Amino acid sequence: MPRVKLALEALAFLLLVAVVIVLPQVVSDFHARELAIVGMYFIALIGLNVLTGYSGQISLGHGAFMAIGGYTTAILISDHGMRDIWTIPVAGVVAGVAGLLVGLPALRLSGMYLALVTFGIAVAFPQVPKKYEHFMGGSSGKSTGLYKVELGFHTTPNRWLYYLTWAVALFLLAAAWALLRGKPGRTLQALRDSEVAALSSGVNVAVYKTAAFGISAFYAGVAGSLFAISSFLVTPETFAILLSVYLVVGLAAGGLGSLSGAIGGAALVFYLQNHADAVARWANHLPWLSVDPKQQGISSVVFGAVLIVIMLLLPTGAGGLLQRLLRPLTTRLYTRS
Amino acid sequence: MRTHVLLVCVIGAAVAVAAAGARPSATPGVSGSEIHLGSSVPLSGEAAAGGSVARGADAYFKYVNARGGVLGRKIKFTYLDDGYDPSRAVNNAIRLVQQEQVFALFNTLGTNNNLAIRKFLNQQGVPQLFVASGATTFGRDYTAYPWTIGYIPPYSEEGKLYGKYILAHSKKPKIAVLYQNDDYGRDLLAGLRKGLGKKAGSIVAKVGYDPTSSDVQPQIAQLKSSKATMLCIFAFGKFSLQAFNGLNRVAWHPQVFVNDVSAASSLMIAVPQKAANGSISITFGKDPAAPIWAKDKGVKLFQSIWRKYGSDIRSIDYKDGYLVAGMASAYTMVDTLRKAGKNLTRQSVMRAATHLSERGNPFLLPNIVVRTTPSFRFPVTQVRLQRWRGRAWHPFGKLVSIKPG
Repeated sequence: MPRVKLALEALAFLLLVAVVIVLPQVVSDFHARELAIVGMYFIALIGLNVLTGYSGQISLGHGAFMAIGGYTTAILISDHGMRDIWTIPVAGVVAGVAGLLVGLPALRLSGMYLALVTFGIAVAFPQVPKKYEHFMGGSSGKSTGLYKVELGFHTTPNRWLYYLTWAVALFLLAAAWALLRGKPGRTLQALRDSEVAALSSGVNVAVYKTAAFGISAFYAGVAGSLFAISSFLVTPETFAILLSVYLVVGLAAGGLGSLSGAIGGAALVFYLQNHADAVARWANHLPWLSVDPKQQGISSVVFGAVLIVIMLLLPTGAGGLLQRLLRPLTTRLYTRS
Repeated sequence: MRTHVLLVCVIGAAVAVAAAGARPSATPGVSGSEIHLGSSVPLSGEAAAGGSVARGADAYFKYVNARGGVLGRKIKFTYLDDGYDPSRAVNNAIRLVQQEQVFALFNTLGTNNNLAIRKFLNQQGVPQLFVASGATTFGRDYTAYPWTIGYIPPYSEEGKLYGKYILAHSKKPKIAVLYQNDDYGRDLLAGLRKGLGKKAGSIVAKVGYDPTSSDVQPQIAQLKSSKATMLCIFAFGKFSLQAFNGLNRVAWHPQVFVNDVSAASSLMIAVPQKAANGSISITFGKDPAAPIWAKDKGVKLFQSIWRKYGSDIRSIDYKDGYLVAGMASAYTMVDTLRKAGKNLTRQSVMRAATHLSERGNPFLLPNIVVRTTPSFRFPVTQVRLQRWRGRAWHPFGKLVSIKPG
């Protein structure tokens, strides 16, 4: 049975790779950039999934780790003249180390208390660049320059950003999958389900929990770095507190513990943030509704309403839906072997 | 049968050739009947009041369209909300250029926001016309950024004018400065220093505030302790409001100088008059709330345009100086498009924008000439001083030229 499962998952992954390669050929240049940003959310959500979906630690502060990654990239580019793509791994490592440091005190906290501490970090972080203005650019932001096509590719900058982001995303997805399908994944899940039980079976709780934090923050840092590159500059507002909340929203909508579902969560978070007015325009056509798409704050209302509907219809998120849809197929395959 | 096929082929080829020939032009955002302009302004958040410049410009373009447009083309104006946040301005600029395919960006608001999008627009060769920021760099650094041009008087020169005025009217000035701690506020402060020249030491205290901070009243209390007799408020929106409130609260009554873009009548009327009275600022556009322009033709024109083409009209709009400011730059924009001619390209509009000599803009003070050359990109450089008294601004003195350089 595991072999069939492995083959199926590898097939799904190859399918995803194919879709990622083909997609920019059918969408406009502008949409390629939008899809790239979806990819950045996806990377952050994979990381958050490792932490929350697998190890059960709730973080409401992942926006801050993205910010650390973003600022690392901006500082390396504008003060040290580094090429943007080479800053991405550095940004991930810096954020990862920050994650490990946060993970240490997090050992003493769990559940809502941990969520609150991480939330505090996300609230406080935007003040840091203002304090260290010469280093981090204050509220005017720090420039990352315009992204250019590199490594000898011949394409538009937006498509380059898309391929770069999704190449990183697929690599990190494969890495997370490889890590979580074996013993580490099972251990983290055991931690989530019962810390006491895990401890009594000889799991080093401290190491696993802190490592989960570090890995998760590494992913967020990579996402933040790409985010900074895509938006020409980082400001404290780029990584506002709401971003951390959106990430948790994306995680829930994508499905806890489902890596592939995170794509759905990422798309939802991006499109609801940027195209809620389109949903409002559509809703306005329904006979029993009157929504003025131009009204102030309408996008927030739409965002909230869509979210409630999704959680009612799909309590296990996009990942859960996928699993349910595929169940007839998978059960047959699994039982046959 | 064969001839039929041949005929069809010939007709098809002819149509194809005609279609290729009739394709209006390769310039994005310009068709035979339309010119598409875009902008990014704060319509929400702390600086939302400033977003009215886009609403005013939009109404003016509709008015022009109703009268036949510009050389037969109608102006379509798409303005997006950035909440005064540079990273959102970047997203808006990308969307306007790559998705909406606008011809040019016009009157985008905010120093930081314009700085954030300048490199991108120049790389793409998209004109960044008449930016709603007086940061000196937008008029000065045209060699590095040939597609960018400013509009309102440069902040450095405005600050310099206050400095000169202080020198002329006070023997031993003691000046305190509250300034927004970014390129915008620092530009004004540097100008003030220049204007004071050798007496720059008379600035006895200065405090910057962060544009995303919540309150500047503590800074006012801090400045009061310097025992200065004059206070320069180089702030924006709610911060200037808080500064005046702070003055009232700590019962400090210095001679106040408040910079133009934070001295809107609608704002000044809302603060304690004890603190506001006697304040000095500059003006170059007609303020519909100032009694001196109550019967002015330009202000009347603004009000009639707004009545007919305004959006979400409220009664206070008729006294909103930002709307008039938007119309003033829209007037210059239309002039520029007309000058660029029927064969409109991004190059031709830049050429027109850098060869302006516009007289009689009805929304600017009488006798102001909007003038630019390829090496002088500060369209408006004439101002008058004005004093706040009896709940209104009163211009005084002559029209003065504040050209940089």
